[in-house]
Amino acid sequence: TKQTTKQLRKLNAACFPVSYNENYYREVVKRQNDDLNKFAYWNGFVIGAVCTRVEPIPESTNNRSRLYIMTLGVLAAYRGRNVGTKLIGSILEYFESNRNVGELTTVDEIVLHVQTSNDDAIRFYTTRFGFEQGEMVENYYRRIDPPHCYVLSKKLR
Amino acid sequence: KPGDLALGRQPLPKKEADLFKTVVKHYEMKKYKKGIKLADTILKKFPNHGETLAMKGLTLNCLQKREDAHALVKKGLMNDMRSHVCWHVYGLLHRSDRNYNEAIKAYKQALKIDPENLQILRDLSLLQIQMRDLDGFAVTRHTILTLKPNTKMNWLSFAMAKYLTGDLRGAVSVIDIYLGTLTPGSPELERGFESSELAMYRNFVLARIPKNHMEALDHLEACKSVVVDEGAWLKGKAHHQLQLGMHKEAKETVLAMFRRGMTEDYAVHSAYMCCVLELDPESCERALVLKGTGTVATMIPLTSEQKQKVWASHKEELRPMMARSPAAQRVPLTLLEGDEFRKAIDAYCQKSLAKGVPSLGSDLSSLYLIVKNNLFVRALDPVDVASHPTYQLIVELVDGYLESLKKITKFSPDNENEQSPSSLLWTWYLRATLHQQVGEFSEALKLTELCLEHTPTAVDVYELQGSLLKGAGDIDAAAECLDKGRELDKQDRYINNLTTKYMLQANKNDIALQRISLFTRHEGNPEQNLFDMQCTWYELELAACFARKQEWGKCLKKYAAVVKHFDDFHEDQFDFHSYCIRKVTLRAYTDVLDFEDHLWGQPFYGVAAEGIINAYLAIFDTPATAMAEAEPDYASMTPAERKKAKAQARKKKKALEKKAMSQAEEAKKKNEDDQNGNKKKVASVVDDDPNGEALLKLDPLEEAKKYAARLVKYSPKRFSTWICQYDVSIRRGKVLMALQALLKANVLDPESSEIFTRIVEFSQKYPKVEGLHSTVKEVLTSESPALLEGKSLAEYVAKTTEHVRSDSLASLPMKIAVAEANIATQSQSVPEALSLVVDTGLKGRGVSTDSCRTALQLFKKYGDEAAEAKSEWIAKVKERYPLIASFE
Repeated sequence: TKQTTKQLRKLNAACFPVSYNENYYREVVKRQNDDLNKFAYWNGFVIGAVCTRVEPIPESTNNRSRLYIMTLGVLAAYRGRNVGTKLIGSILEYFESNRNVGELTTVDEIVLHVQTSNDDAIRFYTTRFGFEQGEMVENYYRRIDPPHCYVLSKKLR
Repeated sequence: KPGDLALGRQPLPKKEADLFKTVVKHYEMKKYKKGIKLADTILKKFPNHGETLAMKGLTLNCLQKREDAHALVKKGLMNDMRSHVCWHVYGLLHRSDRNYNEAIKAYKQALKIDPENLQILRDLSLLQIQMRDLDGFAVTRHTILTLKPNTKMNWLSFAMAKYLTGDLRGAVSVIDIYLGTLTPGSPELERGFESSELAMYRNFVLARIPKNHMEALDHLEACKSVVVDEGAWLKGKAHHQLQLGMHKEAKETVLAMFRRGMTEDYAVHSAYMCCVLELDPESCERALVLKGTGTVATMIPLTSEQKQKVWASHKEELRPMMARSPAAQRVPLTLLEGDEFRKAIDAYCQKSLAKGVPSLGSDLSSLYLIVKNNLFVRALDPVDVASHPTYQLIVELVDGYLESLKKITKFSPDNENEQSPSSLLWTWYLRATLHQQVGEFSEALKLTELCLEHTPTAVDVYELQGSLLKGAGDIDAAAECLDKGRELDKQDRYINNLTTKYMLQANKNDIALQRISLFTRHEGNPEQNLFDMQCTWYELELAACFARKQEWGKCLKKYAAVVKHFDDFHEDQFDFHSYCIRKVTLRAYTDVLDFEDHLWGQPFYGVAAEGIINAYLAIFDTPATAMAEAEPDYASMTPAERKKAKAQARKKKKALEKKAMSQAEEAKKKNEDDQNGNKKKVASVVDDDPNGEALLKLDPLEEAKKYAARLVKYSPKRFSTWICQYDVSIRRGKVLMALQALLKANVLDPESSEIFTRIVEFSQKYPKVEGLHSTVKEVLTSESPALLEGKSLAEYVAKTTEHVRSDSLASLPMKIAVAEANIATQSQSVPEALSLVVDTGLKGRGVSTDSCRTALQLFKKYGDEAAEAKSEWIAKVKERYPLIASFE
């Protein structure tokens, strides 16, 4: 909610090398979808978060769309405890039980971008959830090195 | 006689008399407009009818037309002085003005005319109890009871009156006679809430009779079948048994309480210890009213055998009964010694850290007990805490955890349990609180930084960091830190309020108001809302903030608001006089009466009253400060500066005027809107004196005297009461009152620096006061030597100096006071006197950034002579508190 965005900012600042601007958070709040944007709590404190949105598949003509994972972050001290798995799992579960409801009816796949050097993340998505590594997008990031990323995706229907 | 009718004394004809009854009924039903209409109908025919005039007035009063009401009621009364109705109405009117003494007089007048009017008697009795005219109350309740002996309320009220006038036996027998009037089988004699409360009240009164615990105990057994409040019944029983020295029986009762589920009540654990140790009645009495986690074991130092005895019986008897009780796990920490103690506290810490208990640090701090006059007191000063063996033990344990956690994520190498990441967080947090307890703020802050790197979303860490920064002497940074924590979760009211408090302490009252307004009602003026909510802590902090800024008017205004709240609290009891009796909550009612009797002795009231006194004394000492807000000191400026300052002042004034005008307009507009939109809505309250100008115009010494007198009456056991009383009296030239205040304060805390400073001041001042009456002089010469312990002033100062020099832990405020005294009595040169502070100031007790600042003020006062001492002091303090802000 609007009241707790600061927690998300703090968390993301601690997890990612890139910083997200005010607009990004405003958008997350505006969409108000509690099932696609979640905090993970450990002993009362926020220690991880996932933010997802539904967006049209680019260059598709038939009005199909996809789930796009914008961020998934867990504080360093709490990694290796399946927090990320639970967060992604909850998104997938939500999709499974609502696949024919509302905006999810047109969703075909789940997609994210990952920095080419981030082997841990790539392994996390491919081995745990069966994502497939797709094309490399060059110069996706501006201020970090390497600036390239892979597209990871998984067909949902 | 027709003349009587013209004068308004005659009874009305039947038709109008009926109308009049309806007027009264409408008043009671709160249909005021209808009532006035009917009253007017009667008055058309009989314009002078006294009772009707009075009733109309009373009804108008309920429609906020106070002045018209008074005029009408008075007119009515003048027209018909022999009517009890008129007098009654006159009394009611005074009552609604809270003018109770006048109201009582009017009621009594009404009763002279109609001595058996129950309505008036009841109203009178309420006022009498409100004003604590207890004898009068007893008489009135007796009259009512004689008139109407078949009403339960009348019996209970009379019993209460007997109790309040100290006739305890009488109260018991009134209850007994009442119970005797009931027919057997009546529901009033069966088990139920009301009969239970009455029985417990009777027992409470019985126990109040000196040496009467046996009868009280027998009565408890006798009334067991009607009592529903079993917890209180058991507590009472245990209490009586302990007072009678029946320790074995008492223990059975205590065990019954534990079985009932009262395992988390430390008072019950304390009672258990009383039984096991077979303590004397007087100790038991004290042991049963301890607060928080206090028990016998934290009240008095027990011998090893005693501890062993309690521990053995605790282990055997209580443990199996309440394996999961947190209280039962904590109590042994106060009983064990040596290695067993170490093991117990180790387990306790590990468990709480794994759980994540933020209050663990302060929980443990209640274990730092030191013996004073054969009693335990908490060690609070950093020096005492640091040297306490329990503190040292805990530090050792926690350091061990940290080392091990970092290496193998376990509390210790031989521990089996792998710890979750949050355990490390909480262990750092605990270590930081331990640093804080001994004033090691920089070390603590390093740890909170680690915590925030680890979990930047941990709100509690921001709170701790804020209080660390405050302790380290940088209140601005502290407030900012809390604000950061607050932003994490704007729905968290606790941290929002804490931020507000820190902002006020950092003199940022505008931001503070913004912060707290997030949680007040959103319509209307937040400041007014806070007043309506009686938000005392905010008003006290704000007043202190204005005092620091020397904005005395606004400061007094806020303190006055708190005083008003207390007047309201006192007023609030009115409704309980009849309500509590009707509901038979007699025990709770005696608590309420007792609370109200000591209302002005409450700490918050004391803070407000002292704040007011100090503000007025500051105004008195430097009358210019009250005006300083308006007029800067032009005399000290160069002509060019003066011109500039004047221009600025003009501009400022204009801007202020403009602002005030636009505000007034806005308020007016709003008022109009309100009236147009919704006529029923009460117009919003507009404060026409937001800066407290009216309070500044009062005579400062008179006002200060008023509040000091109230403190003397209601808080005579508070040390600072007498300090205030002295400060006020000496300025008023009341030498004897000042002397008395000093003697009283000296008994309460002879080691305080504040009393020492004033004794020296007094001894220098009073011989110079002229025009004293000879008897006053006599008293002074016979009583004042006691202050100086029979020595001359010089000897007294020298002796205290010696005492402070030889005591390595003497407090910093005391050293400051001694240095000042030596300079004031010219016993020592300035550098010599100040060396006491500079050389040993940071080594003893009472060292905080605040007391360091006080010392700095002292050095500044003596200018060049103290320059060297000052720079040395600044350097030393900065070494100890590297973060201290604006310390130059």
